[in-house]
Parts: sequence; C-alpha cells; structure tokens
Amino acid sequence: MNPVYIAGAGMTKFGRSEWSLIRLASEASRSALHHANLGEIPVDGVVVANMGAARVNKQTALGSALVDQLALYPAAAEAVENGPASGASAFKVGCQAIASGMADVVLVTGVERMRVVNGLEGTDFVASLSHPEAEYIYGVTLPALAGMFARLFMDRYGVERKHLAMVAIKNHLNATKNPYAHIQQAVTMEGILTLPEAAVNNPPIAEPLHMFDCCPVSDGAASVVLVSEDVASRLGGPKVRVAGIGQATDTHAVHDREDPTDLKAVRLASEKAFAMAGLAPSDIDVAELHDAFTILEIAESEAAGFFPRGEGHKALERGETALDGPLPINPSGGLKAKGHPVGATGVAHLVELTWQLRGEAEARQVKDAKTAYACNFGGFGNNVVASVLQREAK
Amino acid sequence: MAHISELEASLRPPAMEMPPYPPKVITLASGEEMVVRQVERDEVPTLLEAIYPLLWVERDFYDIVGARLFGELLAYKRYRVKDEYVLAGMIDGVLAGMVNGRLVDGKTGMSYHTLTIRRGLRVGSHLFAAKMEYHIEHCGQEEVLIVAESPIGFRRWMIEYPLEKRFEVQHELGGVPSWVLPSATYYNAKPRLVAGTRPVPAELLKSAETIMLPAEETVVRQVAGEKEGKE
Amino acid sequence: MSDKVYGAKCTSCGTVSYPMRAVCPNCRNETFERVAIEGEGKVLTFTDVYALAIDYETRYLRLAIVELDSGQRATGQLLADDPKLGMRIKTTIGVVREQGESEIHGLQFVPA
Repeated sequence: MNPVYIAGAGMTKFGRSEWSLIRLASEASRSALHHANLGEIPVDGVVVANMGAARVNKQTALGSALVDQLALYPAAAEAVENGPASGASAFKVGCQAIASGMADVVLVTGVERMRVVNGLEGTDFVASLSHPEAEYIYGVTLPALAGMFARLFMDRYGVERKHLAMVAIKNHLNATKNPYAHIQQAVTMEGILTLPEAAVNNPPIAEPLHMFDCCPVSDGAASVVLVSEDVASRLGGPKVRVAGIGQATDTHAVHDREDPTDLKAVRLASEKAFAMAGLAPSDIDVAELHDAFTILEIAESEAAGFFPRGEGHKALERGETALDGPLPINPSGGLKAKGHPVGATGVAHLVELTWQLRGEAEARQVKDAKTAYACNFGGFGNNVVASVLQREAK
Repeated sequence: MAHISELEASLRPPAMEMPPYPPKVITLASGEEMVVRQVERDEVPTLLEAIYPLLWVERDFYDIVGARLFGELLAYKRYRVKDEYVLAGMIDGVLAGMVNGRLVDGKTGMSYHTLTIRRGLRVGSHLFAAKMEYHIEHCGQEEVLIVAESPIGFRRWMIEYPLEKRFEVQHELGGVPSWVLPSATYYNAKPRLVAGTRPVPAELLKSAETIMLPAEETVVRQVAGEKEGKE
Repeated sequence: MSDKVYGAKCTSCGTVSYPMRAVCPNCRNETFERVAIEGEGKVLTFTDVYALAIDYETRYLRLAIVELDSGQRATGQLLADDPKLGMRIKTTIGVVREQGESEIHGLQFVPA
C-alpha cells in the first residue's frame, strides 16, 4: 500500500445556508484546493459524500455535478453514501485510490443541505437508516435509539445527566473559538440542567436525552485533498499522513446487538486503524468523535480505547478531554456545536484534525498535536470508520 | 394626558381594567438573564424599528408575522385596538423577542403573535408562556384563543401544552379556526413550560429600562440565516 | 397478516433472526421457517421520545427494547405507566403507526 497524505483542507461555515447543495460542495472544495496549492498537478478523482440529496434536495449523481462545477472533467468521480459515516467512507475510498496506485490526487468532499425541509421531514429522513419493519414503523427515530442506548449505558456505568451536560458545555465553549461552527454560543450547567428554568431551556427529546444533548440540523460542506507521497514531496509544506483507517459493521437493528451498551463497531474499527498505523490510543494527541448525542462522545471515547469501559465520564469530569487537557476531544466544537451536515461530518473531522496537525487551528490549537484520531459513526453504531492521522517531521 | 377631542375619543375602543404584568427574570441556557416585562406605548417605535427589516424575510413566515405585528403594535400605540398588551424579553437591555395579544373580555383572551429575535435559547417558548401566564394568572381569564401562521412552530405548542380545538370560533387573525388553552391545561403544563423568578433585582430591572436594539445585520442573520450565501 | 409479528427460524440450527435475514448468522444456512415473535420477557431499555415523525400527534411516544424469556429481543411501543428497567412485560399486537389512511400493526408491550 502506498502512503497517502492530506495536502489541503477546507470547509464552509456550518449552519443555515442559502447556497445550493452543489455551491456548498464547490466552496469547500475550492477552499481545500487552494490550501493544497496544487499548481499544475491535476486532480485524478473526486469523491462526494452525501446522505440525503436524492430525497431532500431531489438531486443525484453528485460526483458528476461537482466535477463539472470545478471544471475537473475528465477526472473520475462518484458519490458515496454510508448514512452519517458517508464522510469517512468517501475519505476511505479516496485513500484506497491513492494507496493502490490508481490515483495521485483525489478530492474528497462531504456535503449536506438538510434545512430545505422542515424538522419533521428531516427527522424522518434520518430515521430511514433504521430497520424498516423492526424499528422504523414503531416511530423509532435516531434520537429514540440514542435515548434507549443512553438510559442503559448510564444505568450500567453510573453516568448522570450532569456528565452529558459537561460534554455539551465543553463543546459549545470550543465552538466559540471556531468561526466555522453552526452554534457559537456558550451554555452553562445552571441554564441547561440545575435551575428550574432548565425544564424550558432544555426540554426532553428522547429521555434521558434533552435538547442540549442532541446536535443541530445543519447545512455545510467540508473537503480534503488527498495526494500520493510523490505529489506531497513536490508540494513541500507540512506532511499530514493517513496513518491508518479501519471500518467495521454490526447488526442493523439495535436490539440485535450482542451487548446493547457496547459500541463494538467503534472498537473493531479503531483497533484496525491503530493496527495499520502501528500506534496505540495513548499516542493520540487530539481526537474528533461523533457526538451526534452527548452520550456518544463518552461511549466512543471508551470504545476507541482512550479510557477503560465505564471511565469515560470520569475522565470528562476531571477535565482530561477539555481543550487544555491531556486528550482534547472535539476541539472543533463537535457535532453538538460545530454542527452536523450529515454527509460532511466525517470529512469535517479530518479538516479540523489536519488544521490541528499543521498548527493552523488558531484559537483552538492543541499544543504540539502530532497524532490525531477521528471516529465517524454511521447508522446507529452499525457502520463505523475510524481514522488515524500523523504529522511527519519535515 | 392631553385633551382629546370627542371624535378621537369615539375612535378609541373603551378600555378594560388590565393589571400590569409583573416583570420576571429567566436564566437562559447560555447563563444570560432575560428580563420579561410589559411594553409601554411610547416604546413601540423601538419595537417597530426592530421588526422592519423582517418584513421581507419569507423564511419561517417572518414576513407576515412581522407585518401583522407591526400593525398591531401601531394600533396599540395609537389607541385603535381594544385591550391589547405587549410583553418583551431583554438580555442585557437588548431586545430578544416580543409577544402580544388582547383581552376579549374578562373570560377570554386572544393571543396574537410571538416574534423571536435572539434564536437558539428558547426565547419564543419562554415569551409565549409568559403571555399565557398573563392572561390566565394575572388577568384571571378562563381561556386563551390561539392560532399561528407557521404550522411547524405551532405544532410544537399544539402538542406540548396541549391545545384543544375550538374550530367553531374564528380567530381575529384572518378568521382562521381557533385553538384554545383552557386554564386547567395551563396550570397542568406550568411546571414544564413556565419559568422565571420574581421580583427582578433592582439593578437588573434598571438595565432593562430602555429597550436597546440589536444591530439590524444581527437581527436578519439570526432570524433569516446566514448573510453569506445570498447570491 | 396483522395478528402477529414474525421472525425467521433457521431450519438447520434453529437460530431465530428478527428482523429476518436471508442468511443465518450462525450457520450460513439459507432456508428459514416463520416463527412468531411473542411471549413474556423483560424491558432491557426504554425511552420517551418527543421528537416524533409527522405521523404522530401525541406529546411523546414510549418505546422499548425488550428481551423475551426465549432470549429473543425486539423493539416496540411500551404501554406501561411507570416503566422501569428490567420490568416484566408480555407482547401484544396493536396499531403502532398511521400512515395516511392505513393503520400499521406491530409489537406493543404491556406489563405482565
């Protein structure tokens, strides 16, 4: 396998956008391409990550559409759909093209424009990833699955609502330092949990999860430029290498999981990624996890191998995962505050981590970040892609 | 009060005794404190200035809500509507949202509009609840008639309180079928939906004495989405 | 066929797949016979969902994952006033969703 490098990264602000789906994709792509500064070096392929365009935007063949927008034809192009893990899956596909030697430069862009439909339609569309006969028909939505997971996980490991609130508070604070974040508004424990007004400020969504435990619905796009070793050398500049990628699947229906509190696919995918990288979780300096629901940040931090089972919330409470802690998690603000345009999220993780490893994360820079980890959680944990990035010394 | 002519007097509706709304303070999710208080007639021009940029924002029905609210506030100021009240929420003295309605008679209230300027902090939910609190707890009414322009926004209240159908009654806002919040339902929902403490500490109340406007650009951006992205 | 909910029982090793599969996860056999998902069991976890799809007009929906005494797990609506983790339930069939004119039947769990 040939080495793969990330030479450029860019994204749009996440939130509510008036731009069309393809305009969002092209803005993020151009930003990443300018960052990479390819000059005369051609782009061999384009991979677009997206979950809902066919349904909510009534548009298909996004790979072809983006290639045209960017005048990159006759480059190869396609779209990849893997629910909320579309971004990292598209990234994986792009990496495989370079690792196999079939391509030297691949543009990977994740995009979602969900806010063209109302909240009910949006919820329903995301719920379509659940099992049609065994889950969906009962009114199961993604928050419902997360609520059931949360209740059991919290009961088993002594996690309390205050720990969930700590995730939200930390990520909202980080996002105030991220100009690309959907929500740039700090929140407090009093406002979202302890005061009587918290009942109105933070209403239940799928108990025990409340509004501030759930990420917003966002429009946005994120893009990375992947290159071969040869191109990376020609470009000069800092070298961020894709050290490892791992993917694993699990049962479709959540009730079918061996242990419903065990994020097995996160664990297996992470083990594969670390094995490929020749690294351990303790080597990681900064991580971007998939906190579509605050409970997931805690559970993923354990399943990925950063903390023992049942200890994730304690590490959080000790401040270990804060921006100035030993293992900052979600310096970008996480899905919770940075936002979650579904197809873009997996790529946005890598954009943030690339900036972190290159020392370009400005107010949210993690000091001396050299190795990074990302986890993109598809379905409700039944399709996970984990990635490990490493900055190479000059 | 200046002397008003007989003709002017005849064009003004007779006014009912309306108790003042006692101000309260609500701590929002951000930790910021929002003062909710009644708005006087001479403060209306400030509110109109805040609403004006929204009159052409189609998204989320801001244009029609803005336009109707604009007219209702003017009518309140110029004594051309019977027993109307206006409440506003302010954060650090800056306008965060407003609600209005009127008393039909001692028993029945007519809710008009809710306009949120500072989004993401449930300001609209808090102010709508404050309105219901005013009608039922402070004015002692038995029920409030409610409709809305936005179906998605309304659905939340319809389901949350919950509201009952009173479709045989045409609401003043365009004669559309009314929903109603009976006082018993209000009291049931109160622990879940109505927040705030009284009295407002003197310093804080003073800071909310004059309504300050957020920058127009902030209003439009908060309400209508990112300015970036307009072709 | 709205009176029961069915899983697929492998004709070779007897492992039940619910939801149904085309290939047995235990022995890779590809023939199954229909078996009803019913009986008594306990609540594994539950939630009250407020963010509902457009077909629902209730304030919230109580959903649960249960583990039947047979070992079989299922997802459905929990019709219990005071739900607790581990409480005993039994399965029943009822209307779980209305899509337009049609009523969809599925699993509901009531206290046993």
